[in-house]
Amino acid sequence: MVYSTRQIGAKHTLEYKCYLEEDGKPISPFHDIPLYADEEKQILNMVVEIPRWTNAKLEISKEEKMNPIIQDTKKGKLRYVRNCFPHHGYIHNYGAFPQTWEDPNHSHPETKAVGDDDPVDVLEIGETIAYTGQVKQVKVLGIMALLDEGETDWKVIAIDINDPLAPKLNDVEDVEKYFPGLLRATNEWFRIYKIPDGKPENQFAFSGEAKNKKYAMEIIRETHESWKQLISGKAVDNKGISLANTTLGDEFSIKDVAEIPSAAPKEDAPIDKSVDKWFFISGSA
Amino acid sequence: MFRGSAVMKRLLQAKQILSPERNFHSASVGTKYTSDYKKYLKLPNGEIGSYFHDVPLNLNESEGTVQMVTEVTRWSNAKFEISKEDKYNPIVQDVKNGQVRFVKNLFPFKGYIHNYGAIPQTWEDSTEFSKINGTESLKGDNDPLDCCEIGSELMETGQISTVKVLGSLALIDDGELDWKVIVINVNDTLAPKLNNIRDVDIYFPGLLDSTRTWFRNYKIPDGKPANEFAFDGQYKDKDETIEIIKECYESWKRLESGMVKTQDTPLLDRAGSGVSIEHEEKEPARIPSSIDKWYYL
Repeated sequence: MVYSTRQIGAKHTLEYKCYLEEDGKPISPFHDIPLYADEEKQILNMVVEIPRWTNAKLEISKEEKMNPIIQDTKKGKLRYVRNCFPHHGYIHNYGAFPQTWEDPNHSHPETKAVGDDDPVDVLEIGETIAYTGQVKQVKVLGIMALLDEGETDWKVIAIDINDPLAPKLNDVEDVEKYFPGLLRATNEWFRIYKIPDGKPENQFAFSGEAKNKKYAMEIIRETHESWKQLISGKAVDNKGISLANTTLGDEFSIKDVAEIPSAAPKEDAPIDKSVDKWFFISGSA
Repeated sequence: MFRGSAVMKRLLQAKQILSPERNFHSASVGTKYTSDYKKYLKLPNGEIGSYFHDVPLNLNESEGTVQMVTEVTRWSNAKFEISKEDKYNPIVQDVKNGQVRFVKNLFPFKGYIHNYGAIPQTWEDSTEFSKINGTESLKGDNDPLDCCEIGSELMETGQISTVKVLGSLALIDDGELDWKVIVINVNDTLAPKLNNIRDVDIYFPGLLDSTRTWFRNYKIPDGKPANEFAFDGQYKDKDETIEIIKECYESWKRLESGMVKTQDTPLLDRAGSGVSIEHEEKEPARIPSSIDKWYYL
């Protein structure tokens, strides 16, 4: 499988769209990329949305046909996460697991909160900066349960299987051993990242503790099942998610991909200077 | 006598021509992120000057302000600095073992955590022991005073700004005294509220501790030991820092007059002979992806 990206417009503009392709044909990063790259070896595919140390909130569009990656907007304006001291932008390569869905119709027995209606988020911690639309093969290490405005929003901690440290990392305790402070920083980052926008501090379930790999793999399995319900049309409410795909051979599969625009990439647009500000949040650490 | 008055005359001229910071420009030659890159100060009359000697210190004691030359933009890694060896002291990227130098990302930080630069017309005398109480056993590092600007905007390499002095940290780098002066751009919205080092802790909680940690550890990924500090790493307040700046201004005047001779005396060539350099617009070289690595201590 050779995945590539098809970019339309300039990054940091409303026109920007990053479609994924498989052997040159448009695919949906939500539905067409298999979750398991190698199920036996527990290697998963991850779709990168946001490169580490950047601010633009790029995400897989659920509503648009073929689910391209676009920049989130708020009140018609492009959305950027604020820099909360000592962090700069996102502190992981941030993305999603394909073929997973946090079902908003179901409340999780342990977090007691409904799913956030998104694919499961992945925090990739390898040393290389990833790019938007990159499909990485990753190893799962642990999971944290963010409660973002009352919804369960799982954050899976994973590492690229090609990272030099990947062979040494097998479970959540290895993260603290080889990346001391990263779990704590991750916890802090998600708690405070919306404070500069006037929102309250987020909460984590399980007192902020990261659960181990086994727990994470189970959540991923459950959310994969939820996605199967979604794609089979059996979800209680699919929330207007586009289920169009090109490889599943189901009722939503489309053969004619001519309506997906051709590549028309442009150079990145400059980011407004206000995004450079560093916010100091007292008592956050 | 003759020489002294010539210097005075030139200084006066410089002051008249150079005071408004908007009048400064730059001219770059070579490819950024390679050893052939040089960014020169360009004076209003188009000739090349020295970032070290021709940008006036402009110390205003009542306002507590000086001028700053930005070398490194916050969150970037390339170690740009005012050259002592190149004529007219352009800003160049430091070279170590034949390679251009980048600072490593020290978790949880990304690159430099301040807009980092130098205070022009100052010099940390490497030939005499420091006169500052508590550092008398140390000699300076033969550089202009370093400064860390903490305002919210990113500053560009070669940018000249008026900044407010807030305090300082006495780093001991390889046995040499290397003051880090904490400043904020006078145009920053918070600048009116910041008047001494204590205010930094109020408006930028955690920044001073992080600054100390950053300077202590930033060379460890390169296999060097942790740096040390005089005064147990305590920050000096604004007034003491102004005295340090005055001291280093006096040292610079001695240096500039030609009275100081060492093996590696900084070059003193300044504007005045009408040298001009044509700006070259070149695509920067690619920054090696190994610089993206995050180091955990």
